[in-house]
Amino acid sequence: MPVTERHPTSSNRLGLDGLEFIEFTTSQPLILGALLEKMGFRPVARHRSREVMLYRQGSMNLVVNAHPGAVRTDGTGASGTALGAMAFRVADAGEAHRQAIELGAWDLPTRAAAMELVIPGIRGAGDSHVYFVDRHGDFSIYDVDFTPIAGADPNPPAVAAMHYFGLVQTAYPGRTAAWLEFYQSLFGFTPRPSGTFFGVMNRGVLLESPCRQFFLQLIEPPEGVEDVTWEEGLLRIGLGTPGVPAAVQALQARGIVFLDHEPNRPTDRGAVTQLYPGGVSFELVHSHLTH
Amino acid sequence: MRLTDFGMDTITLAGPLEAKLRAMRAAGFTQVMLSARDVVGHPDGEAAAISAVRTSGLRVTGFQVLRDFEGLTGHLHEYKVDVAKSMLRLAQALGAPVLLVCSSTSTHATDDIDAVVADLRKLAMLAVPLRIRVAYEALSWGRHTHQLAQAWSIVERARHANLGLCVDSFHALANEGAVDALDVIDTDRVFLVQLSDFLWQQIRSREERMETARHLRVFPGEGVHDDLVAELIRRLERRGYAGDYSFEVFNDDYAQMPLASVCDRAMRSVSWIASRVARRSLPVLRETRPGPRQARREVYPSP
Repeated sequence: MPVTERHPTSSNRLGLDGLEFIEFTTSQPLILGALLEKMGFRPVARHRSREVMLYRQGSMNLVVNAHPGAVRTDGTGASGTALGAMAFRVADAGEAHRQAIELGAWDLPTRAAAMELVIPGIRGAGDSHVYFVDRHGDFSIYDVDFTPIAGADPNPPAVAAMHYFGLVQTAYPGRTAAWLEFYQSLFGFTPRPSGTFFGVMNRGVLLESPCRQFFLQLIEPPEGVEDVTWEEGLLRIGLGTPGVPAAVQALQARGIVFLDHEPNRPTDRGAVTQLYPGGVSFELVHSHLTH
Repeated sequence: MRLTDFGMDTITLAGPLEAKLRAMRAAGFTQVMLSARDVVGHPDGEAAAISAVRTSGLRVTGFQVLRDFEGLTGHLHEYKVDVAKSMLRLAQALGAPVLLVCSSTSTHATDDIDAVVADLRKLAMLAVPLRIRVAYEALSWGRHTHQLAQAWSIVERARHANLGLCVDSFHALANEGAVDALDVIDTDRVFLVQLSDFLWQQIRSREERMETARHLRVFPGEGVHDDLVAELIRRLERRGYAGDYSFEVFNDDYAQMPLASVCDRAMRSVSWIASRVARRSLPVLRETRPGPRQARREVYPSP
């Protein structure tokens, strides 16, 4: 993954520089892993002490955390799959964490074992976390905490030049403004002008990262839907690609099913996969971003 | 304005939490403003208190009260942040959508408005992931903030979606002229209104204000500031306030009366308010559908 050094500016005081990784928590790592492989991700490393696997394709790192205790339950005893965390690449993780706490973020309990890195993080939406990761030269968090899988290509190429475009976060009714404040004040995100969207899921509010490398989309429950179960949290990953039709074709060939009814039918702008077990789906977005 | 817009503070009643909740419900109220003491002082522990609230059939108006929070530095600030976190966790467990924070009375608190704003922004930020809003109230004997207009200027300056005002009629009336301050307040930023009156025309000293506030309040319609209380509510309504009203009536006599009779007084106060304020929206007392009025006026950028 190419890493360019970016210095904090007034509009990017944390030196944010993209999404370092996104984490799923799951009680069904094999089922999720099979889906991720269909999406083009490859397992490249295992965590040294926990039931955690690192997947990768192109510039995207994706962590599957099946460690007991990390997996949330739905209250009935059954477990599921959820987007558990997003990790922001920053100039100085410790400093970014300190500043976030000073501004009113909730700290996370430290979970590192001996000889493992402490990744500073804060509480995000629902049960999710936001981590801060910095990089110094070629040294990365994966070198310390993960063991490479023998024979696996450590840098598998991306299908259809896919890269992280962003994440969708759900908000309770009337809570968008509070979450806007959260992302603006703590990290320097900026709301895009009203009505600016990419892809085919056009609602809510779109926030652009100060590094302009990814987006967060905040959505509230659709109006008129009274009986929908709606909780706050990270809902879906958006994957950018320079050519949505080619990406759809390539992923369909790998066994991925896309919604094919209006208003979510695949277009040049974007496409959405069906809901997979655990409520997982992916969104493709025509992306002007380059990675 | 509907009956469901009104609730009672538990501090208005004597007795155990469960009895307070039952009495409010029996009187016809649908919401309750909780005090931290109800929860942590419950003889069977916090979990029992939370369960009692959750099964009471009453909607929680809010949770009170965080004191002396803003304007501190160093270890005092850190200590208060810890207290705030504890209260926020309790509020979340109770399903309280609002945490009430009173303006500081601490002699250690600075009057540096930027520091005060930063502290309240921090508190509001802590409340975001817990789905709680923070309502700042000008305590009429606050060290630096004791007027509604001052509290509003701080909230306005903080510009945090999760930080708003609590308008308390006692403190507003105890400082004459406060009703006019409502004309400049954005009622979308008023997260809670607490109602009470008192029995004398003027309060002359800080000590008298504290004594009256803590022991001698009465329900609206029972005091001597009928016109001012009615005008306060009328202005809030006229300016679009669509949130909750709660009766916060600290009164030593009520603490010695059967709960049902105090709740009846509260319900009479609702009728009095309806007759003085809400003629345009009668029949006020027939409405029984529960649910927060906030749902009708959510404010966020539309896509």
